[in-house]
Amino acid sequence: MKNIYFVYRLALGFGLLLAFSQCDKTVDLPVFEPYAETNLDANAGNWKTYVLTNGAEIGVPAPEAAVSAAYQTELADLKNKMAAATDEQKDLARHWGANGVLRWHAIARELAAQYNVPPNYNADGTYPSPDPMNPTVYPRFPFATPPYASRAFALLAVAQYDALVTAWHHKFQHNRLAPYKNDSDIRPLIPENDLPSYPSEDAVVAAASRELLKFLFPGEAARMTELAEEHKNSRLWAGANVQSDLDAGEALGVAVAARIINYAKTDRMGMANNQAGFQGQKDDAIARGITKLWTSTDVPARPPMLPTYGNVKTWNLDQATLLANRPDAPPQPGTPAFETALDELRAIAKNRTREQFRIASYWADGVGSYTPPGHWNRKAAELIYEKQYNEMRTARVMALLNTGIQDAGIACWDVKYYYLLPRPTEADPAVTTCTGIPNFPAYTSGHSSFSAAAAEVLSYLFPDKAAELDAMALEAANSRIYGCIHYRFDSEVGLTHGKKIGSFAVLRGQSDGSQ
Amino acid sequence: MRQLYLMAAFFVAFSYVSVAQSPTDALMMPKGVLCVLGQYSGSSWDEYWEGANKRSNLNIGTFTNQSAMIMANYGITDKWNVLVGLPYIWTDSDSYFEGERNLQDISAWLKYQPLAISSDFGTFKVQATGGLSIPASNYVPDFLPFSIGIQSKTASLRGILNYTTKHGIYATAQVGHTWRSNTKLDRDSYLYNGQWYETDEVPVPNMVDATGRVGFINSKIQAELSVNYFTGTSGDDIRYNDMPFPDQQYESDFGRRVCQILHLERACGTGQFRSSVVGAQCWPEHDVLGRRVVPFPGGESQLSQKRAPVFF
Repeated sequence: MKNIYFVYRLALGFGLLLAFSQCDKTVDLPVFEPYAETNLDANAGNWKTYVLTNGAEIGVPAPEAAVSAAYQTELADLKNKMAAATDEQKDLARHWGANGVLRWHAIARELAAQYNVPPNYNADGTYPSPDPMNPTVYPRFPFATPPYASRAFALLAVAQYDALVTAWHHKFQHNRLAPYKNDSDIRPLIPENDLPSYPSEDAVVAAASRELLKFLFPGEAARMTELAEEHKNSRLWAGANVQSDLDAGEALGVAVAARIINYAKTDRMGMANNQAGFQGQKDDAIARGITKLWTSTDVPARPPMLPTYGNVKTWNLDQATLLANRPDAPPQPGTPAFETALDELRAIAKNRTREQFRIASYWADGVGSYTPPGHWNRKAAELIYEKQYNEMRTARVMALLNTGIQDAGIACWDVKYYYLLPRPTEADPAVTTCTGIPNFPAYTSGHSSFSAAAAEVLSYLFPDKAAELDAMALEAANSRIYGCIHYRFDSEVGLTHGKKIGSFAVLRGQSDGSQ
Repeated sequence: MRQLYLMAAFFVAFSYVSVAQSPTDALMMPKGVLCVLGQYSGSSWDEYWEGANKRSNLNIGTFTNQSAMIMANYGITDKWNVLVGLPYIWTDSDSYFEGERNLQDISAWLKYQPLAISSDFGTFKVQATGGLSIPASNYVPDFLPFSIGIQSKTASLRGILNYTTKHGIYATAQVGHTWRSNTKLDRDSYLYNGQWYETDEVPVPNMVDATGRVGFINSKIQAELSVNYFTGTSGDDIRYNDMPFPDQQYESDFGRRVCQILHLERACGTGQFRSSVVGAQCWPEHDVLGRRVVPFPGGESQLSQKRAPVFF
């Protein structure tokens, strides 16, 4: 009897240990499996491009015929590579096989988060600037602020989109069948489809993405090269492309990326951090009768974030249209409307609910995060996986979304440095916050602008999700009020303005030939 | 000594980490005796370590963390004791950040004394405790250093050896392991070991801790000198000028640790409710990897490293 009791206690002890050893420091992450795309968008080679004139502008050499000795040798090589693939390589084949466009966007989000750290102050109270010539030396280049991240996502998406339109153009011109359609001995590790395989859409995406991310995050060149090689090779391990499919895709991806990088070099981002110009902006505001101007709440005062980012080139509207849509001036400190808005924040600061804190935290997307544009990119990726879009249609969603978001950010920055409205805590130090005070003027809210533009574009692309997306944008806008870093009118006008700017991306989507 | 002086300038700490009547000491209540203790602890700092970098952060200014805790110890039998503890913690700083205040984690322990050998000189005791803790409120887990905890459930096991002479001079050694459950954040993405995770679930490192104490105890007073060691068994490193995060590991080097805790208090009698702890605590200089570290005063389920909330 005593023995049984002992065994029972022992079992109980082990059970307890087992229960806790199972909370083993691993977390459940979303898993995305390869899928067979149903709609191949065979006419996408005619879709409207962003930077290229059209999908035919950049040529691709004609492939060897299926019956040629060269191609037959490639098939034999492919079978050897598949047979030699390790388990890890087979896993990678399935990883990259689940929408390479979105895999590269996930990498871009991670880079944005890794590089989203503001430089610390020097002993003399000044701040060091990241140096693009020495990207790995502290403070690393870039400091991936929300404007920087939104531009990076947009450039990446546009490069992928223009490259894929070109690839689609040539695919359906040459109509080379996939290896598994030419040789029934090849059983691919990922679902089959009827898409012509030359040039490889995966190699195009890998090469274009690698080049853009090397340009945007120069300290990561080696890692990007490694990932692109892995992506391309995954197509061999999967049995989905022969080497000449990949080589043609690589060359095409590089050629398109070069054009997008040239665009990026002249988009005025290089002049977006014109600190000398900030004084001119303040003088202009004073000349317009504005008396209370924003100042940095960082200690020591940090130079304002990208004061001239509002001049950066927009994608879906011109600068005259951007200025024509600039919102009216916000209520000025001291006016009844301003005091009413400030009173609301005083009340929240005094008695913030747990739910308000949760919302402020959920949408903060601050330092060390993928920023609000990253948050919306992730949402778009979830919707695309749900719909099982092919790479081409995926790239269209990401390009429309990210150009729309960047446009909204540019327009918002223009407004911020035009009106230079102080943050609530500057107006009343009793307004304590539960999130960091961003280092730029309050009006209008960047989160609200980014989010409204994103919801506008995604609602057009996924109409059945419109209500959910609008609710998300509203919550993102409210989160800044709950955090007490924005007046209600910052968020409300930000939402209206962002939605308006986002609608220009929708207009483009309605006439890009994809209907 | 210079180190001690410097540290004293940074931290004025009153700590309940190792006071009498805790799961880590060797005191047992006799059968039927209930001892209830109220404890206050507080700390304040204006400089902290980020890896090897000691810094101030003018955007936080001076940060304060205070805790009021109620701790009860009841003798079920002479060999079995049950302990319960619940802290209320509040944080603040002279920055624009809102501090937090709430009940933190409620803990319960069973303490078992299988062996007690007495001689003319004194008594040798062997004890073991097992404990559980769960968050006692829906406090914010992800706004360090202002948040008061990390919303992790824990289970712990520890062994204690003690020798007390009949004059009341004692030596105690204890070692424990704490398992900590993953926590869930308000946000659903975070950077961990350089990798970007798109989930709200965060792994929290388990902890190993050990304490050595020598002291004197009689019916009126207890004075004690102790050395503490604790380390996370996994976790992330802090990044320069980044935000705080609940997964950061704490490591300290037992050999290099310069840390004494001196407690002066009266021993506990039946059913008494009283306070308190008077002490001074200093902190380790380096971790095992040579990084400078700072512990987070106020409880083992709290984080020990802090990063600076400096925002874009």
